[in-house]
Amino acid sequence: MPTTTDLLTLQQWLSPAYPLGSFAYSHGLETEIAEGRVTDAAALRNWLEGVLRHGAGRSDAILIRVAASGAAAEADAMARVLVPSAERLKETLDQGAAFQRTTAAIWGGEADALTFPVAFGAALARLCMPVSLGVALYLQAFASNLVSAAVRLVPLGQTEGQEVLAALSPLCDRIAGETEGAGLDDIGSAAFLADIASMRHEALDVRVFRT
Amino acid sequence: MNKPHLPTQPRARGKLEIEVSASPRGTRLARLHQAGAFRALFPHGAGMTAVMLNTSGGVTGGDRFSVTASAGEGAHLTLTTQAAERYYRAQPGETGRISTDLTVGRGARIDWLPQETILFDHASVHRRLSAELAPDATLVAVEPLVFGRAAMGERVHHLHFRDRIDVSRDGVPVFADRVAMDGDSVAHLAGRATGGGAGALAALIVVSPEADRWLAPLRQLMPEAGGVSLIRPGVLFARIAAPDGYALRKTLLPALNAVNVAVPRTWTL
Repeated sequence: MPTTTDLLTLQQWLSPAYPLGSFAYSHGLETEIAEGRVTDAAALRNWLEGVLRHGAGRSDAILIRVAASGAAAEADAMARVLVPSAERLKETLDQGAAFQRTTAAIWGGEADALTFPVAFGAALARLCMPVSLGVALYLQAFASNLVSAAVRLVPLGQTEGQEVLAALSPLCDRIAGETEGAGLDDIGSAAFLADIASMRHEALDVRVFRT
Repeated sequence: MNKPHLPTQPRARGKLEIEVSASPRGTRLARLHQAGAFRALFPHGAGMTAVMLNTSGGVTGGDRFSVTASAGEGAHLTLTTQAAERYYRAQPGETGRISTDLTVGRGARIDWLPQETILFDHASVHRRLSAELAPDATLVAVEPLVFGRAAMGERVHHLHFRDRIDVSRDGVPVFADRVAMDGDSVAHLAGRATGGGAGALAALIVVSPEADRWLAPLRQLMPEAGGVSLIRPGVLFARIAAPDGYALRKTLLPALNAVNVAVPRTWTL
């Protein structure tokens, strides 16, 4: 059973206040909004479900698990070549580096540059944290960050945004459960349009987000 | 006592090994080995182009097909297919396996340009493509995928498909793609982040010392459901979604031209 201390540490790592700069990354969502494909809460929820189930959500869950099982180097090598675009590479490297820096300064350990899910998984292992809980909270934080990006970009109220996030919580839990025991060979995605959105973001005329 | 007669799906095997090398008069065939239901034709007057032909007519559960091709120093090999490949309905529990290994030597180039792969309802296939490149080699690889013959009203409601691509340059992995689709592909591709209702998809990978300067022209050619990115120096990746195979090909032909591909004649619209 996770202890309250574990939970508090995980909350801290995944809080928007932890200095990862996550608020600057939209994972391609800014493109979907700018090009008119995500315009309301229902569309946002559908898009996020796809990214969680068939895209980076599930892949990151597996990368976290593999890193937490001690194979951080292999997971990191895979994470770096698996990104579909330059911005997705930047998104995972920048947040990973920031996570490593801050976490190593406070809890010790290596601060070498790792992709974000791998840095997170390695930290779970180092501090003997409950991995499934960590994965579920990571996925929720990922979705939460994108909901907040959407609230800033579309006429979507704060409450509507939180409704979307609440609806996605069971999915975060489910993906965490389904990826238990999964290895790098189990990574497989089908979030083709989310990949395309991150590619198209590079060429958007007006950009508020870095990705 | 009579044993119950269990119909077994006939299993096709096919193997192709192609090696080409540079000569003063252009690229020549250095070695060819073909076995089973896989054949290669080499039409005249089209550079060194190998047109692959699956004589079994398609791929179904339990089939095994493999292609190994290498281009030696300075050589240029184009690989394509005579027609669209078909992944047919598989018996429950049976999976077809297709693997491709490409080796591109110093200053060499391989263009991997199969025509569309058409997925039929109940298809079950694991496919992999691996490419090893010398530091200054060029690879252009495209994989167009069509979900059912739309004109015939066919939809793919049952699918088991794994597609993996790995590219390394000078021994270092520079690109990987992993596609996994299970179940109802129509529902799967209906999502806003997955396919937006697309009936066809393509992945285009370009690894080349010239890739960086091909980014801008390729970007100009992308449809709204398409994108391209220079992931790292010398590594370009594009994904394109389209309503059907025809629309996909209309986008792919100019995109291939933009990366200096002489599109094989089998590929005409």
